[in-house]
Amino acid sequence: MNIAWKEMKKNKARFLILGSIVFLVSLLTLIISGLANGLSQDNAALIKDLPDGQFYMTKDSDQTYTLSKIDSNTQDKVLDKEKDAAAFSIQMGFVNDSADKQQSVVFVTSTESELFENVKKGEIVLDNSMKDKGIKVGDVLTNNQYSGEFTVKGFVDQKKFSHAPVAFINMEDYKEMYRTNEMQMLFVPGEDSPQAIDGLQAFSKKEFLDTIPSYSAEQMSLNMIVWFLVVISGMLFAIFFYMMNVQKIGLYGILKAIGVKTSALFKMMWTQMLFITVIALSLSIALSQVFNKFAPEGMPFHLTPDTTVKLSIVFLIIGFIGATLSGMQIKKVEPLQAIQQGEV
Amino acid sequence: MTVFTIEDVRKTFTNGEVTEEILKGVNLSLKEGEVTALVGASGSGKSTLLTIAAGLQPASDGQILFEGTNLTEMNAEQVRKIRANKFGFVFQFAHLVPFLTVEEQLMLMLDVAGTKMKKREQKKEIDEILSLVDMGHRKKAYPSSLSGGEKQRIAIARAIIHKPKVLFADEPTASLDSKRSKDVMALIRELTKTLNITTLLVTHDEEMLAYADRIIKMSDGQVA
Ligand SMILES: Nc1ncnc2c1ncn2[C@@H]1O[C@H](COP(=O)(O)OP(=O)(O)OP(=O)(O)O)[C@@H](O)[C@H]1O
Ligand SMILES: [Mg+2]
Repeated sequence: MNIAWKEMKKNKARFLILGSIVFLVSLLTLIISGLANGLSQDNAALIKDLPDGQFYMTKDSDQTYTLSKIDSNTQDKVLDKEKDAAAFSIQMGFVNDSADKQQSVVFVTSTESELFENVKKGEIVLDNSMKDKGIKVGDVLTNNQYSGEFTVKGFVDQKKFSHAPVAFINMEDYKEMYRTNEMQMLFVPGEDSPQAIDGLQAFSKKEFLDTIPSYSAEQMSLNMIVWFLVVISGMLFAIFFYMMNVQKIGLYGILKAIGVKTSALFKMMWTQMLFITVIALSLSIALSQVFNKFAPEGMPFHLTPDTTVKLSIVFLIIGFIGATLSGMQIKKVEPLQAIQQGEV
Repeated sequence: MTVFTIEDVRKTFTNGEVTEEILKGVNLSLKEGEVTALVGASGSGKSTLLTIAAGLQPASDGQILFEGTNLTEMNAEQVRKIRANKFGFVFQFAHLVPFLTVEEQLMLMLDVAGTKMKKREQKKEIDEILSLVDMGHRKKAYPSSLSGGEKQRIAIARAIIHKPKVLFADEPTASLDSKRSKDVMALIRELTKTLNITTLLVTHDEEMLAYADRIIKMSDGQVA
């Protein structure tokens, strides 16, 4: 006979309360980590969504990509050897729309490559979020450093950098606007270990992101928030499981007195904990996915299956540890105690 | 026939600096099919003796012999097994499992005792025991809806459903009125006879001694 199940059936309210705590706390964690991830995407989706590989900038740029200038000989040599590689540049700037309203964007340009949008001279491809600003395909945009006009060719999904929408432009236009002939960086996809290139310093994707001061500081705060939440949720779980077990000391004593094994009591508690946690987690995952779909436009929310699974596993482990730690009382319960304590 | 022997059992409790000997070498043998009643002043050690005999707490010294084995030399798991299979208990309060129906209480006991019965056999067994304690009509009831006397009768049913060799009862009628007490005692006596159980019970109530075959008086940690 399954006493774990019988107890839950009889004491629905108590287990419902415990379940809703797990549900609310895990939902909170999922939503917050979705928002944190969304912010981080908003800050660096352009780079984060690139495949793994190596970034190169000049040694004397002091790890600041805006100061890096790749010499054209080096660039040609690398691009010749690595067919998938690209040289690219990133610059903050503005475009003026037809109503002469200024919109801040991040200009990105690159050598011909699959990794970036390649646009013809005089054309511009914008991040999707610019649609919300009322810009349509075919609109004409201007920039005070640029003699010509940009025609909007199209939009791309999720290309953000430094919380601003990315604007892909042609390399010629870029060179004119920023009066330079050099690109800032080289990117070689698929490379696990950097190659030694004269005068250049290599960075993995993560290392490169860390060189961007606004990104690394923000990331640290966001990670802190999520992990604090996870730790505090874990403690909350443990405390609630503990309180439930304390209430059940008398019951455990009686069951022990009639000869139920301690291991059977642990199994009973684990079954209940697993049942509650799995249901509560499934509900909060479902709800957070709904939120993922219907999060208001412009609210950076990004919850990947990867993060969801990771957090769920962490919650299951934490729940298990919490239940087991609080269940140590079960081991200590003397059947005699329960009997002498009178009526239950 | 003697089936249960308590030999020179001692129990000391230590509270901080003070060590007190509560049982001072108790000898007692129990016979099959007999109700043995333990009486004595409050604090004389009756409950302590009963719970030690039932394997619910260890003795400090002495032997408890049952079916050729010595309980005091067994480890916790071995004692638990004997408790589950061979012993039954009734206490002052029924101590039923609050979330199980009357029927489920008994089913749990059968499971715990490891009786290899089919579901149908279990049900039949439960029906029989419940009619013995005259509770067949409350099979689906939860403990919270039973009266004190009814709970105690279920506790007795639970204590004997797995056909224990020894039944221990510590003031089983203390929470009942005089009429109910007599019913419960009559029931314990009847079961002892029909199932050939060895019963050891503690009582404060003179009236209940009429149901015992043997009366043992305890005073100051010793039997007279
Ligand atoms: N766990 C314990 N620790 C310390 N002293 C204990 C413990 N259990 C019992 N005692 C003491 O042992 C003595 C005998 O207790 P016991 O419960 O066996 O008496 P009793 O004869 O059953 O009394 P009553 O008729 O009141 O139930 C008492 O003085 C009690 O205080
Ligand atoms: Mg007592």
